[in-house]
Amino acid sequence: MNKPLSTLTDDEVRQIALLVETLERSTFDYLQLELGDLKVTIGKGNAPPPANAAAPGPYSAVQPAAPVASVAPASAPVSAPAAEPKLAPQPAAAQDGTVTVVAPMIGRFYAKPEPGAAPFVSVGTEVTPDSTVALIEVMKVFTAVRAGVKGVVAEICVQDEQLVEYGQVLIRIRPIE
Amino acid sequence: MTVSRVLVANRGEIAVRIIRACRALDIDTVLAVSEADRESLPARLAGRTVCIGPASAAGSYLNFRAIVAAAEGTGCDAVHPGYGFLAESPELAEACAEQGITFVGPKPDQIRRMGNKLQARALARQFGVPTLPGSEKVHSAVEAAEAAKRIGYPVLLKAAAGGGGRGMKIVAHPRDMGEMFASASAEARVAFKDDTLYLERLIANARHVEVQVLGDRFGNVIHLGERDCSLQRRHQKLIEEAPAPAITEQLRQQIRQAGVEVARDIGYENAGTVEFILDQDAGAFFFLEMNTRIQVEHPVTETITGIDLVQEQFRVARGESLRFAQSDVSFRGHAIECRINAELPREGFRPDPGTITEWCPPEGPNIRLDTHCHAGYTVPIFYDSMIAKLIVYGFDRAEAIERMRRALEQFTIAGIGTTLPFLHFVMRDPEFAAGKVNTALVEELIARMPGVAAAGVRLAEA
Repeated sequence: MNKPLSTLTDDEVRQIALLVETLERSTFDYLQLELGDLKVTIGKGNAPPPANAAAPGPYSAVQPAAPVASVAPASAPVSAPAAEPKLAPQPAAAQDGTVTVVAPMIGRFYAKPEPGAAPFVSVGTEVTPDSTVALIEVMKVFTAVRAGVKGVVAEICVQDEQLVEYGQVLIRIRPIE
Repeated sequence: MTVSRVLVANRGEIAVRIIRACRALDIDTVLAVSEADRESLPARLAGRTVCIGPASAAGSYLNFRAIVAAAEGTGCDAVHPGYGFLAESPELAEACAEQGITFVGPKPDQIRRMGNKLQARALARQFGVPTLPGSEKVHSAVEAAEAAKRIGYPVLLKAAAGGGGRGMKIVAHPRDMGEMFASASAEARVAFKDDTLYLERLIANARHVEVQVLGDRFGNVIHLGERDCSLQRRHQKLIEEAPAPAITEQLRQQIRQAGVEVARDIGYENAGTVEFILDQDAGAFFFLEMNTRIQVEHPVTETITGIDLVQEQFRVARGESLRFAQSDVSFRGHAIECRINAELPREGFRPDPGTITEWCPPEGPNIRLDTHCHAGYTVPIFYDSMIAKLIVYGFDRAEAIERMRRALEQFTIAGIGTTLPFLHFVMRDPEFAAGKVNTALVEELIARMPGVAAAGVRLAEA
């Protein structure tokens, strides 16, 4: 934790206590949460993989043998709430091997930098992680959406200027190494 | 000005309540949901849902740009903000106005004027409504101590931008002023990004009495009676009732009239609540603040007046004049509301979210339950702990208490801890039954409640 405890508000302390409660009842071994400069790791004994070598966590040298995904059986219903507090949806691998780019916020989807211009990407366009693939507009504020992965655009899933919801799949990219 | 499709910018029981009012008025609904609320009961009841952000409220329910984008993108011509979240956000009201969307609530400048508690106090004084002895803005602990000397200890340090009890500290003695000033301004800065503080005299034997008002754009303002909300814990209401018990008819009428006065003088539109502190020893009342929204406890008013407040909100928002004159409003019997929270009363009311494994609510004549919960529902960790409001009607207060007591006994909730045992304890308390309520009663009752001796120790849970 980078913040000393004394700078936490009552509310933050209460929320952390809640996370501990929820984790206790869940089947997860640990929970890592990053909100701005606040980093919280809560565990039940099995250590998380080290985030980076420079920051020694509250754990001993015991390392989990299994990767994160195997810790959470899909049948555990109570585990869902503790796992959700992400700041933005992340690119996710789909069944067909493509990676999805999802809307980081609700807003209007723009495939082109300006009316009449060519679209940022079309099916077959090669992209790098930093490539802008679209814009999302919320009340005249435009936010660029990045590919997040190196690959080839396989599908554009939404219409230009359509309302997209938070977390909605915008584009599928087939990654290349 | 039409209201044909409404974006409901809230969650939980109030989202259900608003959707039901819309159905009654043949208005389409779109529910704004966070990622955590996609499968909620209001999500199933709404015409459609639109996901506006992550579970964390800061990125979803508190993001006014996301709300406006959702309303615009789904063809809504109105937004209902409910209570909490953005209900008293002048930014949301203004952004709606700019986009030609009807905000179901008062005008942005009315929200702003009442949102600053110091300014609201000044307005009330200007309208001839009594306010508590207090100060203007105090810039330092030294200045606060000088003002406190004039007002008389104990005093209450309050945040001008305040709400929900945050940034509020009791100072009983001059030696505590330095410490309390520092912590109140720190709390206010974090909670409201504004650390303006002022002082008010603390009333020892106080009751919280509030007046429900309703106004339209033609300058008509009426009251729908008062509510007593004295049973609070850490400035959070637990039990509310209407009408206020054990006050003289003359005082009741004076308080109602003062509420109307404040609302009329700012040309208030839509539903609002004017809050007063009643000094029981002096028999005097003082303006506290005005809430420019529908309140959690509105059902007790609906129960004794027969008026659907949320439907009336939509009617005045779409430009209709009030359907009732003051003389058309009549009051019948007594209503009590109990807030059922996912909290453990014997462990300092610690929040206890989780999955509800059993949910068996009471039923019968004159029992109303406003909730979004059901068996299998997981109460998320991200939001308020309130899971239901149980409201009963009785032809008098004694009957209402008796009905509430039985209703609470018939309510089974398993899987999470709830405030049900504490509420039941209050309904059997002779002081409460005698109407001897004040803002300190809840703390006294908690101390007397069986099993509380173990407070702080985690009890074994089944």
